[in-house]
Amino acid sequence: MTELWVKNACVIDPIRGINGEIMDIAIRDGRIVESVSDRADVIDAHRCLTLPGGIDSHTHVSGTKVNFGRYMSPEDMRAGRTKRRGKMHVTSGYYVPTTFGNSYRYSAMGYTTLLEGAMAPLEARHTHEEFTATPHQDMLANTLFDGNWAVMDAVREHDVRKAAAVVAWTLNAARGYAIKLTNPGGTEAWGWGDDLTSIHEQVPHFAVTPAEIITTLIQANELLRLPHSVHLHCNNLGKPGNYQTTLDTFELVPDLNPARQSLYATHVQFHAYGGGTWRNICSKAEEITRSINSKPQIVMDMGQIMFCRTMTMTADGPMEFNLHCLHHNKWSNHDVELETGSGIIPVTYSKKSAVNCIMWAIGLELALLTKSPWQCLLETDNPNGAPFVKYPEIIGLLMSKRYRDEECATLHAETEKRTSLWALERELDWHEIAVMTRAGQAKALGIASQGKGHLGIGAEADIAIYPIRTDMVDPAREYRKVVEGFQKTRYTIKRGRVVSRDGEIIVDGANATFWVNAKVPEDIRMENDKEFIRRFEQFYTVRMSNYPVQDLYLPRGRCIETEAML
Amino acid sequence: MRCILNTGRSVPQGTAVEHKLSDVYRSIASACFLNPVDLMILGIEDGDRVRVTTPAGYVILTARPAEGVARNECFVTIGPYANHIISSETQGTGMPDFKSQDADVEPTEEAVKSVGELMEAIGGVRP
Amino acid sequence: MIEQDVVCPFCGCLCDDLEIETDGARIVRVKNGCSLAEATFMNDTRLPAPIRRTEAGWEEISYDEAISETAEILREADRPLLYGWSSTHGETQSIGVHIAELIGAVIDNTSTVCHGPSILAIQEVGHPGCTLGQVKNRADVIIYWGCNPVEAHPRHMSRYTTFATGFFVPEAQRERTVIVVDTRRTDTTNIADEFVQIEHGGDYAVLSALRAIVRGKAHVIPASVAGVAKEQLVRIAEICKNAKFGAIFFGLGLTMSRGKYKNVRNAIELTDELSRHTKFVISPLRGHGNVYGSNEVFTWMTGYPFAVDFARGIAFYNPGETTAVDILRRGECDAALIVASDPGANFPRAAAAHLAKIPTVVIDPHVNATTALSRIHIPCTAAGIDAAGTAYRMDGIPIRLKKVIDRGYPDDAEILRKIYDRLDGGMGP
Repeated sequence: MTELWVKNACVIDPIRGINGEIMDIAIRDGRIVESVSDRADVIDAHRCLTLPGGIDSHTHVSGTKVNFGRYMSPEDMRAGRTKRRGKMHVTSGYYVPTTFGNSYRYSAMGYTTLLEGAMAPLEARHTHEEFTATPHQDMLANTLFDGNWAVMDAVREHDVRKAAAVVAWTLNAARGYAIKLTNPGGTEAWGWGDDLTSIHEQVPHFAVTPAEIITTLIQANELLRLPHSVHLHCNNLGKPGNYQTTLDTFELVPDLNPARQSLYATHVQFHAYGGGTWRNICSKAEEITRSINSKPQIVMDMGQIMFCRTMTMTADGPMEFNLHCLHHNKWSNHDVELETGSGIIPVTYSKKSAVNCIMWAIGLELALLTKSPWQCLLETDNPNGAPFVKYPEIIGLLMSKRYRDEECATLHAETEKRTSLWALERELDWHEIAVMTRAGQAKALGIASQGKGHLGIGAEADIAIYPIRTDMVDPAREYRKVVEGFQKTRYTIKRGRVVSRDGEIIVDGANATFWVNAKVPEDIRMENDKEFIRRFEQFYTVRMSNYPVQDLYLPRGRCIETEAML
Repeated sequence: MRCILNTGRSVPQGTAVEHKLSDVYRSIASACFLNPVDLMILGIEDGDRVRVTTPAGYVILTARPAEGVARNECFVTIGPYANHIISSETQGTGMPDFKSQDADVEPTEEAVKSVGELMEAIGGVRP
Repeated sequence: MIEQDVVCPFCGCLCDDLEIETDGARIVRVKNGCSLAEATFMNDTRLPAPIRRTEAGWEEISYDEAISETAEILREADRPLLYGWSSTHGETQSIGVHIAELIGAVIDNTSTVCHGPSILAIQEVGHPGCTLGQVKNRADVIIYWGCNPVEAHPRHMSRYTTFATGFFVPEAQRERTVIVVDTRRTDTTNIADEFVQIEHGGDYAVLSALRAIVRGKAHVIPASVAGVAKEQLVRIAEICKNAKFGAIFFGLGLTMSRGKYKNVRNAIELTDELSRHTKFVISPLRGHGNVYGSNEVFTWMTGYPFAVDFARGIAFYNPGETTAVDILRRGECDAALIVASDPGANFPRAAAAHLAKIPTVVIDPHVNATTALSRIHIPCTAAGIDAAGTAYRMDGIPIRLKKVIDRGYPDDAEILRKIYDRLDGGMGP
């Protein structure tokens, strides 16, 4: 039995409605309890800001394309490197760090749970191997279905139950957590070098549209009672004028689940562009947030960009090729048979570029114009918009109009004309930041019930104690202190153990991987479907029996079982 | 005769690759494939020995005719025989010139060494 | 007993449809595999026990003794080299990296003398590729450049390309155009619809010519480029541009001949150029069964796919300097640990010779040429035969190798774990 007592903590715990109370937290064997014995180790938080462990609900840290980002970028590996020291392994990289680099840096920032944004089921084993080497965070994997042949066949046949059964089988085989759609239909078209430009355009050879894929899978998701909703990277990412596609997509979304959203729209900054060319691109954040504010069934995340060199990596292969044709830098692409695509190129976001400045402003506008922080979560689509180590700066920008003004003064002159950021006075408070960085994620991902994202009795003791006295810092003026405070916790506690202190990792990690087993009735299980098996054996290049990820790839796997309503 | 020494994999080499000290492997890895016209010019026949010399040294191989090999090229499967005469220079890439080593090929009466003997020649001891 | 869907660990194709019949600890029959697979499973003769070289010759020693002596050799070394890794599974590779990190060693894998130059090219210009199933289901034009899959990857064409029935190419042989580029005629070139025979060292020029033609600059091309007639080049460029889906596979003919990584870069840039006309992809044909896995594991742990030097504490990468052949050529390392590979046979003589001058330990199921150069040889399981573990196919697909028999050998991961522990590795990998 191990016990820990955190006293004098200034707790913000939005899920439990606690906002800045000074309180003690008792922990036994990794969970939060009523009280502990007097033999418990004691941490005095000295009234510092204490939050549930941070949760990133959309980040790219593990798996085939992330590793390829490292593989092709020795220049980035040299940009951040540390020696083996104490309990820390060697790390390399700045915008695509090694797994240990990701894990240590997230931990130093108080993050204890990460959702990998995109995992191709065929390559799931790889993602899980890297999860094991990312020891200080619990991991979940979005599982890609955007170009899944069996799903598209079911959609064409208007067979929601079949689509649900394919999803259930695949999630189980891949040990995945949620349905991810990346440019639905577009990644299949990219198998021929094409893309789709509207949610009502048909996927070549499959006679289905992105809109049909999206709506069918939203329904299938609820039939399967998955903890998370469909997680969508909309079509037309990064194209001027794409906001209309985004709004059209939002209009498709029914409100099916009282406990959470029915659609999670990711990195919406990249989907909120007006205009028709790079010359007249402008912000449509107001239109997007007007839609979000009237649709509780949708949660989005920012997809904030920050000015730096970074790497774009996504399953959206055609988008990466278009970007490559603009940047003329190196380009990697990796399409995955019967499932999805992916692409990678390095980019530099520069203040000299009007487009980049407008993108930067749009991300902030989205966060400031969305009324409920529960509906706009903070992230950068790491590392696409910026590496996650930039989160504290984003927090600073959202909490301080002065900081924004100072930054805005350094931007390309066009930015003010084509965005509304200059006019936005709103400054987020500590509670809103807590929502946007952990509580909102826990709710959106459906893991609050697993004891994530809050500090209630029975919750997992994942806690971040930041060297910030909220009673003594005025974030609007002293935003530098806010940024610094969020960069490095005093203590990051993971499942009841202090894993990081002042940025130094002090123990071996022992993370868990959450995955979902949605049980469907015998008669519609894919393993009993002769046609599914026949097509699998004929068109995949691995045998169906060799496809599922074995349990040993998840040394601490945590299965969430659901009973499908089929 | 001036040649370019080319190396590569082959099915026989692959099937014997975990039996490097065997006679089978010796005969596969020490075969030097030459265009039949080159064999004629050298005045030798299938199975005769050739001495192949590069700046890195020389090795004795068994000449074999192969229609597909270009004139002035000799092909030897990857392995200790070819490597005996390939320079370890990599021009800053890590990769030696496994496929483009200039070599001299001439007939010889010398015998082909075993893999063990090649290893002994560089300080090894056969198990 | 008959086991289905067994994975062959030999080459980068990792065919996973073998049927293997066992009788106790013996494999008696292999079905579906190529002759390389058959030899891998059927002719698996091992060293019975660890051996040590002494003044008087070789003597058998216990595993314990072999392991502690190896740990001692590594502990004493100032500049150890850990090399190999491509014929074993990921767990072993992972512990290898941790040992290297712990003792400040150089760790390199066999891609250094295989597709290392391809990696250098990819680091310059990227890699537009795909999984093999994309090619199987879609490609109507296949190009094999500087490679000979009939000999090196015997089932590549039947499983993934030329002869494989694909969803959009139901009649593969009729619907696919196969182009083979090589300096010599081989069994692969005999299958080609177009055989492009180029002069030795002419790859770069021919690739440049094709790029120019694809860009619409055919008029600048002379009548013949590196022995290839202009009209053939123009014809091939047309075939490529008119393809619905084209796939280039390349081999050591590009990486090992003059120009090395620049040849590969040029081939990738041709693919990039063709991608502006139609769908085109390119991929290296990786040799060892899990060589791509060693690149993957090295990369997520250290940031670099091969040639990683921990002497400075941090991970340092500088191919040409930190690559195994160069370290050996310079006589720089003072101890070597060779795992699942045979540099004695596969490195140029001068590099291999240095292994005999320093304490070299081999951990490998089979006696090989390096054994003769080593101080200690520790036999172990062979991944995919009597040990299970992860391997990465040449296209990045991770596949679990199976354990089909038990021959009583320790897993190389277990041997390395013990070495790591004796070196006071402490924290878990």
